Amino acid sequence: MNTAIALRNEIGKGMRFAWSERLQILIEMPMFAVFVILLGPLLGQGENLASGRVDWSLNSQTTSAMVVWFTPFIFFYMQVVKMFWRLLGEIQAGTLEQVFLSPLPPWLVAAAGRVAAAFLETLFVAAVTYGLVSAFVSIHLYWTPAALLPAFASIIAAVGLSLIIAGATLVYKRIQIVNDGVLMMVMIFSASALPLIHVPGWWADASHAFPLTDGVGSLYNVMIAHRSVTQARGIGGLVPLLTVSTAYLLVGIGTFSVGARVAKNRGTLGRY
Amino acid sequence: MSPIAFQTRLARTEVGKGLRLMWRRRSLVVAAAIVYGLTYLGISLFIGGGHLVEDLMVRTLPPMLAVLVASTAAVEGTAGIAEEINGGTLEQTRLSPASPQLQALGRMTALAIEGLAVAIVVGIVFVFGVGLHINPQPAALIPVVLTVLDALGYGLIMTALVVRVASIGAISHVGTMAIMAFGGTLVPITFFPHGMEVFARFIPTSLGVEAINSTLAGHGLGATWADGTLPWLLVHTAVVLTAGFSLYAINMRHAQREGGLRPR
Repeated sequence: MNTAIALRNEIGKGMRFAWSERLQILIEMPMFAVFVILLGPLLGQGENLASGRVDWSLNSQTTSAMVVWFTPFIFFYMQVVKMFWRLLGEIQAGTLEQVFLSPLPPWLVAAAGRVAAAFLETLFVAAVTYGLVSAFVSIHLYWTPAALLPAFASIIAAVGLSLIIAGATLVYKRIQIVNDGVLMMVMIFSASALPLIHVPGWWADASHAFPLTDGVGSLYNVMIAHRSVTQARGIGGLVPLLTVSTAYLLVGIGTFSVGARVAKNRGTLGRY
Repeated sequence: MSPIAFQTRLARTEVGKGLRLMWRRRSLVVAAAIVYGLTYLGISLFIGGGHLVEDLMVRTLPPMLAVLVASTAAVEGTAGIAEEINGGTLEQTRLSPASPQLQALGRMTALAIEGLAVAIVVGIVFVFGVGLHINPQPAALIPVVLTVLDALGYGLIMTALVVRVASIGAISHVGTMAIMAFGGTLVPITFFPHGMEVFARFIPTSLGVEAINSTLAGHGLGATWADGTLPWLLVHTAVVLTAGFSLYAINMRHAQREGGLRPR
């Protein structure tokens, strides 16, 4: 009972924070649509660009794949970036110590306060992205409940990554540039899950270690390629999808707990 | 001590403070250089369809380095101010005889040094690692300096906004992504459709990068002056810097009046 109340309170707090940042979310809203529209015609066009030729038309198939790629990334952005800034604010203000008075484990307080808000923010931003992009080119997606599985796995992986960064934040504090870079690499490497460009072998191999790749691959399989979500192997296969997501969550919980212990030992939870 | 010498000493102290803070987090500066390098490598592979197109990278590397300076100024500038507000130390900075503008100048100069250091390392790695044929031209120094000032002006505007709304720090990520998208890192802005090209010229660093690329291509400063890029770059830099310093001073004054210099 106490746990449920505490959890509800954290989620409510996260929602109130999200509402207080509505202006920020409005500013962020068009960014992803702009990226899809801009990047779509440029992918793989390096040689043409070098010789001064560029065709700015959008291809429906490519753009649909990019929407499938960017939507889970929006969730990663909302979860990881905002959790980092909020945690940093609490560390700097000295209120983080109070988190340890909660009956919930500290990692759960940190994650639960963000995940529901990030989910709602993502729905809003993704809908706007979809609307803006589809004004330029038709998007063909196969909407099926099976897509909920990779969506859920991606949420788990994002929570894990946000906890890893949060754990590092507890120890190293101002790591925003690293935070930015990690997200950028998550996005770049996850591209290997889509047939948008031909990536080198080392890139395809390394991309499996990133938390978004198999989520995007599975969403592509289900929503564009009409493949089964239960396909076991390969990029987006059920086995790597669930393994990577679970691993990220567990490593995230571990990293956050270690970071919290280090901060406690140093006495830096209540003093910046 | 003459007033000018006194102000110079105050500014120097602020720069020294910023550099000492940078030194304390030097491992993060190194990590940032690696991450930015990998990001640019990834973008280049995206655009090149899985391989590096050197002729294009010669024109997209300068914008990436400009993004790096702008991002360092904005992200570290906003984080620094948010840290001082949340930690309650921003109030103490107002005990200094230095004006808010002078303090901002010191902060931004230190961030410029940090951003430039990282940009130079990343630039050298790509020029020699990939074998990019970039011919350094002394004339390019003028647009380089203006581009750095433009980037700092943008960073200062973001920093000033944080003084007013602490939670807006995350917006600096959006700004960086916008500069990356429209500043020429993906594709030179002259390749954009006309309307988008006009819009892109308002984005911080994009005019500067165009002038740098033109000068490095051997066209000389005269050509960039004649086609209007250099005069517009001068205007853009002056406007952005003035806006940054003014906004910072206004928001500091407002925060001082409303009690916004301490944790909210």
